[in-house]
Amino acid sequence: MFVARSIPADHKDLIHDVAFDFHGRRMATCSSDQNVKVWDLGEDGHWTCTANWKTHSGSVWKVTWAHPEFGQVIATCSFDRTAAVWEELVGESTEHGQKNWVKRTSLVDSRTSVTDVQFAPKHLGLQLATCSADGIVRIYEAPDVMNLSQWSLQHEISCKLSCSCISWNPSRVHQPMIAVGSDDANPSGGGKVQIYEYNDNSRKWSKVETITVVTESVKDIQFAPNLGRSYHLLGIASKDVRIISLKPLRRDQSSTQTSGHSKFDLRQVAQFDEHNAQVWRLSWNVTGTVLASSGDDGCVRLWKANYLDNWKCISVLKGDGSNVKLQESSQVQQQQQTLSGGAMNGTSSPPGQAPLPLNIKRNSGWAYFNTKKDQGKHYY
Amino acid sequence: MSLKLDLLWSPNREEEFVTFGQELTLFQVVKTDSSLGSAQVSGATRISDSTLAIPLSVNSEIQYVKCVAWYPGHDPHQLIAVGQANGRIILVSFGQGGNKDPNDLVGKEFGPRHARQCNSLVWNTHDNNLLAQGLDKYRQDASLLVWDVNAKPAYGSSYDSTATPDSKRGSTFYVDTTPSIRPVAEIGAAESVYSLCWSINQPKILLTGMNKYLRVYDIRESTHPQNAALTKNVFGLCVDPHSADRVASFSEGQISVWDLRNFDKPVLTFTENRQIMKLSWCSTRSGLLTSLMRDWSMVKLYDIQHTTGGSDEMEPVIIERLIQPAGQHSVGSFTWHPTQENRMLTISSDGQIRDVTVFERIALAWSPSQMLAWSCGKKLIQCSRVQVPPGEEDVAEKMKYRAMRGYGLQTEQVWQNTELVGNDRQLKSMWSWIDTVRSLWQEGKLKTMIKNAPKYYGIKSILRGEVSQNGVTNFSEYSYAPWEGVDGKNRLQPKLYKSDERKKCLQLCCWDFDSEAELNTVIDRLESDGEYERAALVALFNLKIKRALDVLNKGASGTGGDVNLSIVAMALSGFSDDKNTLWRDMWSNALSTSLKNANLRSMFAFLTSGMENFDAVLNEEDMCVQDRVAFACMYLCDSKLMEYIDTLTAEMINGGVLEGILLTGFGRDGVDLLQKYVDNTGDVQTASLAVVQALPGEISKDIRVQTWIESYRSLLDRWGMWYQRAEFDVRRASCDASIRPPTQVFASCNFCGKSISSSANRRNQFLSYGGGPAANKPKVTACPGCRKPLPRCALCLIHMGTSSGTASFRHKSERTGSHNSNVILAPFSDWFTWCQSCRHGGHSQHIADWFRDHSECPVTGCTCKCMTLDSMYQAVHSEEHGAT
Repeated sequence: MFVARSIPADHKDLIHDVAFDFHGRRMATCSSDQNVKVWDLGEDGHWTCTANWKTHSGSVWKVTWAHPEFGQVIATCSFDRTAAVWEELVGESTEHGQKNWVKRTSLVDSRTSVTDVQFAPKHLGLQLATCSADGIVRIYEAPDVMNLSQWSLQHEISCKLSCSCISWNPSRVHQPMIAVGSDDANPSGGGKVQIYEYNDNSRKWSKVETITVVTESVKDIQFAPNLGRSYHLLGIASKDVRIISLKPLRRDQSSTQTSGHSKFDLRQVAQFDEHNAQVWRLSWNVTGTVLASSGDDGCVRLWKANYLDNWKCISVLKGDGSNVKLQESSQVQQQQQTLSGGAMNGTSSPPGQAPLPLNIKRNSGWAYFNTKKDQGKHYY
Repeated sequence: MSLKLDLLWSPNREEEFVTFGQELTLFQVVKTDSSLGSAQVSGATRISDSTLAIPLSVNSEIQYVKCVAWYPGHDPHQLIAVGQANGRIILVSFGQGGNKDPNDLVGKEFGPRHARQCNSLVWNTHDNNLLAQGLDKYRQDASLLVWDVNAKPAYGSSYDSTATPDSKRGSTFYVDTTPSIRPVAEIGAAESVYSLCWSINQPKILLTGMNKYLRVYDIRESTHPQNAALTKNVFGLCVDPHSADRVASFSEGQISVWDLRNFDKPVLTFTENRQIMKLSWCSTRSGLLTSLMRDWSMVKLYDIQHTTGGSDEMEPVIIERLIQPAGQHSVGSFTWHPTQENRMLTISSDGQIRDVTVFERIALAWSPSQMLAWSCGKKLIQCSRVQVPPGEEDVAEKMKYRAMRGYGLQTEQVWQNTELVGNDRQLKSMWSWIDTVRSLWQEGKLKTMIKNAPKYYGIKSILRGEVSQNGVTNFSEYSYAPWEGVDGKNRLQPKLYKSDERKKCLQLCCWDFDSEAELNTVIDRLESDGEYERAALVALFNLKIKRALDVLNKGASGTGGDVNLSIVAMALSGFSDDKNTLWRDMWSNALSTSLKNANLRSMFAFLTSGMENFDAVLNEEDMCVQDRVAFACMYLCDSKLMEYIDTLTAEMINGGVLEGILLTGFGRDGVDLLQKYVDNTGDVQTASLAVVQALPGEISKDIRVQTWIESYRSLLDRWGMWYQRAEFDVRRASCDASIRPPTQVFASCNFCGKSISSSANRRNQFLSYGGGPAANKPKVTACPGCRKPLPRCALCLIHMGTSSGTASFRHKSERTGSHNSNVILAPFSDWFTWCQSCRHGGHSQHIADWFRDHSECPVTGCTCKCMTLDSMYQAVHSEEHGAT
């Protein structure tokens, strides 16, 4: 059973991203109102907004937390073509318990909207990847973790396609790896997910894979937390939800020096079109065993694999939180309904006329939405 | 005249709307549980999964409705201005109580001098008494009239407000002298007004779409437009409610968006293939334009929010979205809810109403504690799973639950872990195997002759001779084992193999029975656990057929016993060797498939095997691996045994079956198996904890093992379970000294730079900063290296190394109870602590007391807020608040 609670967000426009810190005790939200809010979880389980400030001069697309070992640090990216790194001034707070956050740096290299920003996993130090609508992924690094105002642009990777999302592979064994998704709308443009890997010898990022099965525009991409698995799981939000497993093939000791980059055994382990429309965002739980997805049908769906690696939907939650508490009871009703199914069918009214059958899913004959085309280069 | 249906939300009552066409109908929207479906309110229509529309009232007196506008004021709240085909406006309401009408507005009528079609009607939302009307052209007459509905009628005017019903009916021209109201403003002589709207931030400004112009008028200065743009897109003019300068208009196949500050040319233009019928901005979301096209089942949304955000050089960013509110029915009209986020009502050409909410992109995130948060438009929702039925938890929940209860951290009673894993047979068998091996080591039954061999080796290694002294295995000897219990003289006797290795293997399987008493103990234990089938199996495989029958009968007769067991026992007792008997046929035909229990099946398989081919027993997958291996070790010859163990091991590794750890041990194969298990389940916890048991050993160098351990530690950290993490580290370090972490903090003398703790340790271990029995306490207030004094406590001004006084007093009183206990460590309150930022410090008790009341450093002139810089401060602080 799920219990939902509404948090009075008080953003003045659409909220574009929600991010938890490493421990899940803090949360950051960003919005089209150009503000970022930071929330702290109280002992009573309620979230209190402890900071709210204007970060950019355009919609803020994404917000992400650095590992707490680097301090209380977040990064944001925006339509205003910049990404920024913010740090909380620990120990200083105003009377109302509001915390001060200061801008440590503004990353202004992009000439188009910066669509995603992600901190690298902790073991890679303080690194930051951004991607922008003009198709360039940039890797920044703060060489001195004590000085967050100094970031150097280490690499620029040109992806040839407008980028919408980026994800670091969290594995601590594997080479540094990022997956980049593109929202390019042209299906004939080939695979929309590219995987890049850092090569220690050449000191360069190079493309190791293109996932060719995904040709529709990709809105979100997420590597699952690795947790000691021998393969990597990549969730992709496109027209449907897909889960791709990348199993690194054993490399020969000799070939590591010569060929350089790794080879993978790519396998699509799941594909779901239950959202019936564009899938927007994905998130893995802490163990990488449950995937949550949201789509244009206004639902949040949870997916989980069984022991035999068969993924299936375990829950459907309505985006406005309206059906969440009723989840359990409606299932009971469904059972009752099937028990008394004969009687119900006998009295059913003509289609389209009220009363409609109970427990209808939102997408069965009801309003559904689709995004026909992307006139601009960007989906937001 | 085609019957066009349209609808409108109430501007001031959240759940009311009207539909109009031939008649005006007032509806109320009621939220219903979908379970209430059958208990219908009469006449109610379901308009969405969760809402019903109940018609409250119908007003059918008015005819030829062209347009309506709902009075934005509160009294009366159900007042609607209806513009008719002849240009007259009637203020109507519904015949219901509760409608206050202080200004006596209901029933008022207004009309132009000459009858012509009313195209548009808008209330001013600032001055609720102003109503603007747009009309078709009539000679030189003004077509844009602004009425003050509160105005008192003036006599002698040609405008009429209380016309008789006769004059209402289609007369095109009349002059009368009844009291009438003059419009406040008359604009646009000899023009047709197609659309109009009020500016949202300037109450006197009116925007209109006339013949070939969009014009902006000030009604106080109505002769000349303030601003104008030449265009053919003069229909459906509307202002973005979130951006006063942004307006949109359309013509047949084109939509334009304008900026009033730069009115010369449109900011954006979209072309559509279909004929556009209606254009509107979403009332709750900025920059969301909505259009409706003729004979189409879709409503089209244009998100233009990011077109003007950047500078000119940027390409406009527009997202188009299509909404299909009612399947294949074409949409006749729609209306955005004035306040509720993204809610829209649509009406199809045949009158079906739909309540639709357009969902925004939902951003979502999991927190490490299994809480899901997502945004829905401007809303933020957190959601957590509660009351998860047992067995359906995610592995994350399971791991957290187990970690909280000290899973895997027992050093002695390893079997306790089995109580934490629920009904998971795999985990249980792995932990009991570890327990068995431990106790075998302790009893000295298990030894390894080779140095550095892993402690937890598997059966495969034993049989391969990897753990014996010379690396080879001895050949097994066999004997024909006699049956016991039944008249066993004429029976086939199986070959029972024996060797030292096999004995060890059986020990690991818990099947090594030196005496009959031992065997009976095991069988009795299984019986008392209710595992009658397995007990019978153990008895039978040890050739005690009589005992097996007893067990089965006991199982059948006991409380809640299974009657089937007695039938099985009966069948068993009739067992005969003869290959052609009826008994054997019965078994192979019927019983083998109908028996559900794997142990029972393999018992029959054993008896019918002719004591030669045991494949049916060995390949019984539902049987415990332990039993299968033990069976193989007893009855298979050397070559077959090796073959079987190899296949089985490979099978176990491929499947990631934890029971197979019995075969692999914690060697390389074991890591392969655990890796597969982790791949399958994500249970990195069990894998880490299991390998920690096997430390020290070769496997600690395996990169996979290190990854599991690091992942698990990081997971505990994410959950904030630092105690558990620390306990795990301690456990790990106690198993493997090589991974003990190095000292992280050194205190060095200010003068000579030598460590002060190292020499203190030399004199008296553990005694660094004071504390301990005063008699044998050496003086440590000076640096042991250079004899210079150590820094002072900022509060008591006594040198570091002394006791803080208060705490040691308390400490003494505590100590009187247990006099002989040798206190080695100084109590925490005597410890020396210092701020990492300003380097000032003192006794921890003093410092803690100081910061209870102060925020700044106790050293004069130092403004460092030492305590607030400490992230632990918040935790301590909140705890204290919670306590008081």
